[in-house]
Amino acid sequence: MNWLDFSSNSFIVAFYLYCASFISFAIAVAGKRWSNRKAEDHTSRWGKIGFGLAAIGWLAHLTFFFTRWYGGGHIPTSNMYEFMTFLGMAIMFAFIIVHLIYRNMLLGAFALPLVIIIIAYASVFPSEVQPLIPALNNYWLKIHVTTAATGEAFFAVGFAAALMQLIRVVDFSRKDKVGKRAQFWTEFSLYVIIVLIGFLVAVFAFRGAGYEATFSQEKVTIADDGTATSEVKEVKYGLPPIVAPYNSDIVEFQSFIGLDKPLFDAPSWMNGVNAGRKLNTIIWSVISGSLLYGLLRLLARKPLAAAIHPHLTDIDAEDLEEISYRAIAIGFPVFTLGALIFAMIWAQIAWSRFWGWDPKEVWALVTFLFYSAYLHLRLSRGWQGTRSAWLAVIGFLVVMFTLVGVNLVIAGLHSYAGV
Amino acid sequence: MFQNTKCECGHQNPVGTVLCESCGKPLDEELLTDESALLEMRYDGVARRSQKANPHPIDRIWNFFSSVKIAVYLIIITLVGAALGTIFQQENTLINMTESSEFAAYYKEKYGTAGVIYHALGLSRTYESWWFILLLVMIGTSLVVCSLDRVLPLYRALSKQQIRKHLQFINRQQVVYAGPLKGDQEAWITELGKQLKRKHYRVWQEDGALLAEKNRFSRWGPYINHIGLIIFLLAVLGRGIPAWHMDQYLSLYEGETRQIPGTNYYIKNDKFTVDYYTDAELANNQKGTKVVKLYETKARLYACTESCDDPLNEPVLKEVVQHDIHVNSALSYKGLQIYQNSFQQRVRFISVHPTLTNKETGVQIGDFDLLMDNPAEKYDVGQYKLALIDYYPDFDLDEQKRPMTKTREPNNPAFVFQIKGPDTPADGEIYIYFAMPNEKSKVYEKLLNDSFKQRGDSSGRFAVSVENPVVDGKMNNIKYSEYTTFLNIRVDKAMPYIWFGAAISMIGLIMGFYWQHRRIWLRIDDGQLSLGGHTNKNSFGLRADVAWALGRTGIEVSPKSLDNRRNGR
Ligand code: HEM
Repeated sequence: MNWLDFSSNSFIVAFYLYCASFISFAIAVAGKRWSNRKAEDHTSRWGKIGFGLAAIGWLAHLTFFFTRWYGGGHIPTSNMYEFMTFLGMAIMFAFIIVHLIYRNMLLGAFALPLVIIIIAYASVFPSEVQPLIPALNNYWLKIHVTTAATGEAFFAVGFAAALMQLIRVVDFSRKDKVGKRAQFWTEFSLYVIIVLIGFLVAVFAFRGAGYEATFSQEKVTIADDGTATSEVKEVKYGLPPIVAPYNSDIVEFQSFIGLDKPLFDAPSWMNGVNAGRKLNTIIWSVISGSLLYGLLRLLARKPLAAAIHPHLTDIDAEDLEEISYRAIAIGFPVFTLGALIFAMIWAQIAWSRFWGWDPKEVWALVTFLFYSAYLHLRLSRGWQGTRSAWLAVIGFLVVMFTLVGVNLVIAGLHSYAGV
Repeated sequence: MFQNTKCECGHQNPVGTVLCESCGKPLDEELLTDESALLEMRYDGVARRSQKANPHPIDRIWNFFSSVKIAVYLIIITLVGAALGTIFQQENTLINMTESSEFAAYYKEKYGTAGVIYHALGLSRTYESWWFILLLVMIGTSLVVCSLDRVLPLYRALSKQQIRKHLQFINRQQVVYAGPLKGDQEAWITELGKQLKRKHYRVWQEDGALLAEKNRFSRWGPYINHIGLIIFLLAVLGRGIPAWHMDQYLSLYEGETRQIPGTNYYIKNDKFTVDYYTDAELANNQKGTKVVKLYETKARLYACTESCDDPLNEPVLKEVVQHDIHVNSALSYKGLQIYQNSFQQRVRFISVHPTLTNKETGVQIGDFDLLMDNPAEKYDVGQYKLALIDYYPDFDLDEQKRPMTKTREPNNPAFVFQIKGPDTPADGEIYIYFAMPNEKSKVYEKLLNDSFKQRGDSSGRFAVSVENPVVDGKMNNIKYSEYTTFLNIRVDKAMPYIWFGAAISMIGLIMGFYWQHRRIWLRIDDGQLSLGGHTNKNSFGLRADVAWALGRTGIEVSPKSLDNRRNGR
């Protein structure tokens, strides 16, 4: 067994340990009435088990990281798979730190699913070690990416705590407008998370079944000097194509429950690299996410937030707010250093300018400005509590857009291969 | 509205004071009415300039910029503006376009109607637009004003603190404890002080009262951060000073030397190399594709020492530095930075080494060097003298079938020589030579030389050609450049200030976020202990400190029960 195989095995071990840890935390939160122990003892016991499993899982994750580094010859943070697995590892680190400060046994019930989703998302991307392109071949790659991800990881923990806080305070007995709005948006946040899970389920289910469809797409590119070159590219789909790429022909199409040709073509403005496939992926995610959500709703027979809410009543919303704020406060300087200052230093060395308004850079700045607005707002009255929790949730959306959305939607210097 | 600014403790406070500077009793009418509400502890309730009662227009501007609310608006507008700029490509990424009409056409063609609107709104130049710069300037102004407005009052409030505070002040803090105290009160206070010292508090004691404080310096964190940001923003604006900033691109084929416009420097591309990863090095899903491992320009930088601006003389150049420029490794010389930007695979002639032969006798008369750029006018070949009387770098025929050159680039160079020697007529023989070793130019060469012969300008004896043009599949006796390298040349005198500002800012952030200013006040009135604590962040930590110290002195409380906010909200 070589280093890279060993590394992938460690990753799988970490993944299962995280799942086990999540289950323990879920039991800690939800199973208080199952045993005849006192509720507090139950929570503390299962919370400890969950934390222990998470810590061992994290060690396995670290093993994955360092053996891959050793086996691959460079730090594994250079493509989407490697970056997302690293981010997952960083979130675990942030979670462990915050857990050690506050010893809140239930935070894990929200932080672990987040980590699991992120590393499962990582696995959607090709996991092979790829050699570095010239721009990435610099030790600032290590420094910049690792610190930026660590900062973002603390924002992620802030997000998990804020989401808990929102579910904790949402009041389903209220019938007025404000109350309804709070109910809707809290539920909607959960729905979005389930759509993400739906995406993962769809991708892995069809991948497991070996599904594949291929199109040939003609792509006309106009070079800087005005000459047009046309190039025929193959576009491979892992999910049954509901949308075909713009300007394409079917090469191979396995039919799927009666679907034997695409239902429509991607619009012409979606002519970017793999835009059609991305749109198709989004449609599948919404479909399978909605199915999953519907199923869960049927099981719970009430909004999911309303189903989780009663299990959180013995935590103080103020504690959650404090955890969320503190995680963000810890993350902010780290993020500033990693995602802005180190990024500038590296950009100066690699691309001759410390700042070039590249979409990824701009979105790092947007994230920074957003969290500084959050911090300033918290200085004023009326912006603590639920509002600030919403800001923490939105802030993490901005982070995820910066990390993933920019790559999928906007192309720039930082683009890794998309889904 | 008349406000009595003299506190009951006898201290005269400036107008606008919220909490008495001396004893901390709330002065603000609103604060006095609701006794259970928590106190607003920012700047310890001292008056700031922006809170003057009758603002003058200048004060209004001052107030505008010192308001955190306005700052948040500014930050959010900037954030949204910056994000809008990423929807479509920015104009400055389209290096090869300059005209406004070209850009308009590009956005229309590439993005359709949305692109037209985007361009018309000026969003295609978001980051250079006046409104975006104005926003940055306003944030900068706001940073200066808000810091000036707050830092001095805060300094005053923190440097002269009274130990014994008003009861209301203590009871309305975020962390409170109240309870009876038995036994020797002074001894207990001293003991508590000792415990707090073990937690690194500085402790002051006055009969029946105590003040403990730690990490006061962290209160300066936000201001230091803001100062760093101000320096950073000034440096960014400083990049607008022309002499501070230069940014240009140069393309160089191999062997070419060019002046860097606007400077005394010349740069030469000695050689350009590209390395690709081998299939064995690539991941499975990449095999068969070309992935660049390294591309590099071997460059030399020269400084001009003499006849630099003299159009009649060749400049005298002195080599100053040599560097292999590649991505992540720039050539750097006295503030001038030369970066590898990109490259293009484009064959370009540099020179040929042809031979003059007498076709009749088959004798090779001699060979010579022929440059494509600025070829020499005279060549001595054996006993013959060749004069270059015409040169068409990019040969073609115009409508009247007359020779002409399409461009200045040597894409199909043709040289017209006048050959003089022992056996030629006095005004020599004319010969046209095509340097490109391909069929088409050889056909032209023959055709034109035949017509010279018919006209009587040539005997048709001579031929100029490259011997063995191809050896082992490689061009021989021909020098050409395979790649053109694009270099980015920069001067950025603002950089040191940028890094300095960023460093200051970082120091401020670390000070402000990883330490927290914590203060604990207590006083004992008739056996009744009142304790209040305040921190600018992390009241969890403060509660833990207080509960720990109280526990050590015989008062067991849970940290949570000290939290006053839970009742307050
Ligand atoms: C992009 C620009 C800015 C950034 C990144 C920034 C950053 C920060 C940070 C990190 C803090 C500390 C917050 C905390 O301790 O929770 C802070 C505090 C503060 N900021 Fe800013 N700031 C910016 C612009 C401004 C502007 C324009 C103003 C002008 C009104 C302002 C006013 C303040 C004030 C009054 C504080 C509180 C200071 C204290 O606690 O004593 N900030 N800022």
